[in-house]
Amino acid sequence: MRRLPVYLLLDTSGSMYGEPIESVKNGVQNLVASLRSDPYALETAYLSVISFDSDAKQLTPLTELSAFQQPTLNASGCTSLGGALKLLAECADREITKTTAEVKGDWKPLVFIMTDGEPTDDLNKGLEEFNKRKWGIVVACAAGQAANTDTLKKITECVVQLDTTDSATIKSFFKWVSSSISTSSMKVEDGFGDVKGLSELPPPPPEVNIVV
Amino acid sequence: MNRRIPPRNRIIVKTVDTYALRVAAFLKSKGIEPTTEAVDKFINWRLSQDWTQYNQSAMDRIQVVKTQIDALPLSLPNAKKGVAYTASISIPTDLVDWYRIVGLEGSGMKISEVTDGSCEISGSPEIANDYTLLLEYHVAGDESADFYTRELHLAVNPDPRDLWKNIPTDPAIDYFKTDEDCDYVKVEANDGTPRKDIVAASKRGRSHAHEGRPRDDDFKICHNVDNGWYVLAVADGAGSARYSRQGSKIAVETASKFCTDALASQGEFENVITAYHAQPDDTTRKPVADMIYRIVGTAAFRANRAIRDFQEQNNKDCTPKDFSTTLLLAICKKFDFGWFVASFWVGDGAMAIYNADTQYLKVLGEPDGGEYAGQTRFLTMDSIFANPTDIMKRLRFSIEDDFSALMLMSDGVSDAKFETDANLNRIEKWNELWADINSSVNLIDDNENSKEELLNWLDFWSPGNHDDRTIAILY
Repeated sequence: MRRLPVYLLLDTSGSMYGEPIESVKNGVQNLVASLRSDPYALETAYLSVISFDSDAKQLTPLTELSAFQQPTLNASGCTSLGGALKLLAECADREITKTTAEVKGDWKPLVFIMTDGEPTDDLNKGLEEFNKRKWGIVVACAAGQAANTDTLKKITECVVQLDTTDSATIKSFFKWVSSSISTSSMKVEDGFGDVKGLSELPPPPPEVNIVV
Repeated sequence: MNRRIPPRNRIIVKTVDTYALRVAAFLKSKGIEPTTEAVDKFINWRLSQDWTQYNQSAMDRIQVVKTQIDALPLSLPNAKKGVAYTASISIPTDLVDWYRIVGLEGSGMKISEVTDGSCEISGSPEIANDYTLLLEYHVAGDESADFYTRELHLAVNPDPRDLWKNIPTDPAIDYFKTDEDCDYVKVEANDGTPRKDIVAASKRGRSHAHEGRPRDDDFKICHNVDNGWYVLAVADGAGSARYSRQGSKIAVETASKFCTDALASQGEFENVITAYHAQPDDTTRKPVADMIYRIVGTAAFRANRAIRDFQEQNNKDCTPKDFSTTLLLAICKKFDFGWFVASFWVGDGAMAIYNADTQYLKVLGEPDGGEYAGQTRFLTMDSIFANPTDIMKRLRFSIEDDFSALMLMSDGVSDAKFETDANLNRIEKWNELWADINSSVNLIDDNENSKEELLNWLDFWSPGNHDDRTIAILY
């Protein structure tokens, strides 16, 4: 079966401490709960969580939704976004099935990155590895005013911004991510192929602004 | 588990005398008259100091234990509705001397008594839900009767089958088609010798049913008793095309009718087949190829034109692309010397001659599948008929020994059963498919009930494969 891999790259640096990180935790939990009741996503979508603070760590390896367990997220340290991209590339190499004559490989992965600040490590190093792989849609979310959308534009064309990092805003971002995963699972299962652009995703809610 | 409270009163009563004597001696050495009152005052002061410190230390220990309990990796694997579940929880007995877990009432699962620090959650969950369980515990050595708690999460996944809705197609839509269909062509045994029959079934996919969208697949099977020719056609309308359900219908009807008519008036055709069998070489082969081109190739082309004409007459705002469909078409007849089979195939799906006894397999062409959407070729594309060479590439004909089945199927069946194009050429995969069909469908001669059995078989479960499914079997 062709899986739809979904990678969530979540900023767990010190500035996320308190309400933001608690909202992210809830966001992930709600996302999984809602996708589990979607027959397309439940069968097709596989989820992985990579956190980045002073280091990047894959907290949850690519896991089918029905077996997904909420990882522990703690906010501390700085913002190794470059390291997270490098780790993402390594995880994808290891976890994604390639198409062979006997096996249909996975769909191109969806990547959702959420960060509230500037990277504190060498972004370009990670970017180089990241760019060598093929991705489906990559959405980078600048959470709050401290995040630099120009930096995120180097990673992907699809950049969105949240004005604040309060719980309502973060909640609505994750809700949108969840419906984007639903839409994408349905698209691939119905034979329309990989998802490539923001226009193929559901329109984001008012709290999530598309950066052009 | 019982909690034992140490009998501290007795211990204190026993030690007070010697301690009081020591206090009296101590006060005396400090120049204080050791009256009973002074001794009591000192002892009470000392005890109250110790008591405060003692409580502080106990509270600290409780806090330490609480932190340790909160940090325990007590994760419960996810359960699935209707599937037996067991998981065990273990808490070190040096941390807690009593605990229990609550919160699964009415879930269909139960939590066992705690033995040696462990308990088990078991049962068959009745509903899909995210349960928040409460671990209530008493810290080992805590003399108070206070309980502390921690949350645990248990997710019960739904059965994916429950999530797929089955919304009937609105009969008022243009070109309405029933959500399922099946047919049986019975060719009765002749003087006790069984003759092959055709069974076919077509069912709307779960992904279409979930949204109340119509079935886009279609099929047509027929047999001419006068001349013995069988005709089978299966078509799969493209999911993205607006009126593909009508495209597939026109395709199978036009192509099968053209073949049936042409075969009824082509006596010469059978002569060239016989000649080809008698001496198979390029000279005898060419007339057969020409006839196949004129009958089967033209049938496909007529189907392409019929869709175009229909669109021009009825849906001027559309293009033939809105009627996109695949087509698998086969004609077949038994001769004294064997079976003559000819076919045309455009698009994905699968079509093959299969013999379970001799393990013979002949796939009648190559699927125009593709890694990416949009690569699939459709009957409705004019490029398919751009030149005779391209048409010839899609035609096959041969004389075959007897076979178990000639099968035509849409990709709703073939993707689920073969997964990749390469697997279409692996006999093991066909063996599996044949065994699977035969386990549900009684494919004996003249069994008309098998059409419903085949329709039921099409309900097979295959994660991620919920397209319309159609299969036609000559057996």
